Amino acid sequence: MYRRYLPVITLTATMLFPELTSRIYAEEDITEQRFLQLYRQLQPAVDEPWRTIPWRTSLLDAQRQAITEKKPIFIWAMDGHPLGCT
Amino acid sequence: MLRTQFIAVAIDQAYQRRQQDAEGEFYRKIAGQGPRNNFQSTTQGFYIATAAGGLLLYNNNRDPEKLNRLMQQHLQEFKAPSSATPISPGTVDARYNPSLPKEGCIVRVQARVLGGYPPTTDRWQKIFQSSLSRDNLWISKAEQQALTKGQVMQSLQERIARFHLVDNTRGEPPMWKKQEIRQLKITFDGMTLRGSVHLETDDGKRGYVAQLMGKIELRSGKIVRFDMVADGNFWGQGPYSRNAPLGRFPLAVGFRLADGTDAADQVPPQGSRGWVQGYIR
Repeated sequence: MYRRYLPVITLTATMLFPELTSRIYAEEDITEQRFLQLYRQLQPAVDEPWRTIPWRTSLLDAQRQAITEKKPIFIWAMDGHPLGCT
Repeated sequence: MLRTQFIAVAIDQAYQRRQQDAEGEFYRKIAGQGPRNNFQSTTQGFYIATAAGGLLLYNNNRDPEKLNRLMQQHLQEFKAPSSATPISPGTVDARYNPSLPKEGCIVRVQARVLGGYPPTTDRWQKIFQSSLSRDNLWISKAEQQALTKGQVMQSLQERIARFHLVDNTRGEPPMWKKQEIRQLKITFDGMTLRGSVHLETDDGKRGYVAQLMGKIELRSGKIVRFDMVADGNFWGQGPYSRNAPLGRFPLAVGFRLADGTDAADQVPPQGSRGWVQGYIR
């Protein structure tokens, strides 16, 4: 007899206890299909512009090359590495 | 322009402004000519300099069109200095030059928020909301050898959880403290890795509950394939990773063995910053 109220109960529970539903979701095993889908989603595109720039990570290597090629040095200096975590 | 007319270098200036060696001195020589010349605080930004250490431009504007204009302008004014000589690295300051342990391996780590953001028309918010982060996981020789026996060493499990199951898609994230690991189990049957994790701060304001799955192959005691994903729900944010979606939101983290073809493969893990022994031994 409670079946007709089940959607309402579920919705209310989701709104009141969102952590419960997310916890259940996170406890589901990852399927092969989901693994492949996520894995693809988490790879950068090969042609992203920043990947086409020959970034160096050593300032002294850049200094030596700037002398050889007679070019200015462009330094991207951040808190956290610009090519890594920032 | 960056590809052909400049020598492009990317650095975490928190290292160079502190390190006591030739590279640190060269960086401070350049940055010291700009407005951010107090090396006790951040000097972040874009610099154009000569090989002799002369500063041509400092700018910290993220507008690409404006930066492009400034680069073109300074390129026209640039003359290669005749006095510049190559600087020898000498003895490097080991505190700021963490290196991969001998016979260790590097795994690329990339995270993405899969939903939960409110709609936005803001150009910068859109970039943050769709961004794919990048970090590196270091795995030691001993941890690789343990995997050949079907064992995932506790040190590797904890390093993955504490330093790599983070939301670093909008900026530098807080890492997890050891006591914030509420539950962690990763097993490996020789082909497939499976795991589950629950990370949460004491106040409950930040957390991540996720499942892990991976495909790992080893040859002669070395990892030749490391493909792994973490799939779960994250909540909360850090002081440098603000504007997270409200409540719980789906966050996935991908792992892939680095092949050395990407300059970022050489970047030390964010978790090793300041104290590499706290990250890997």
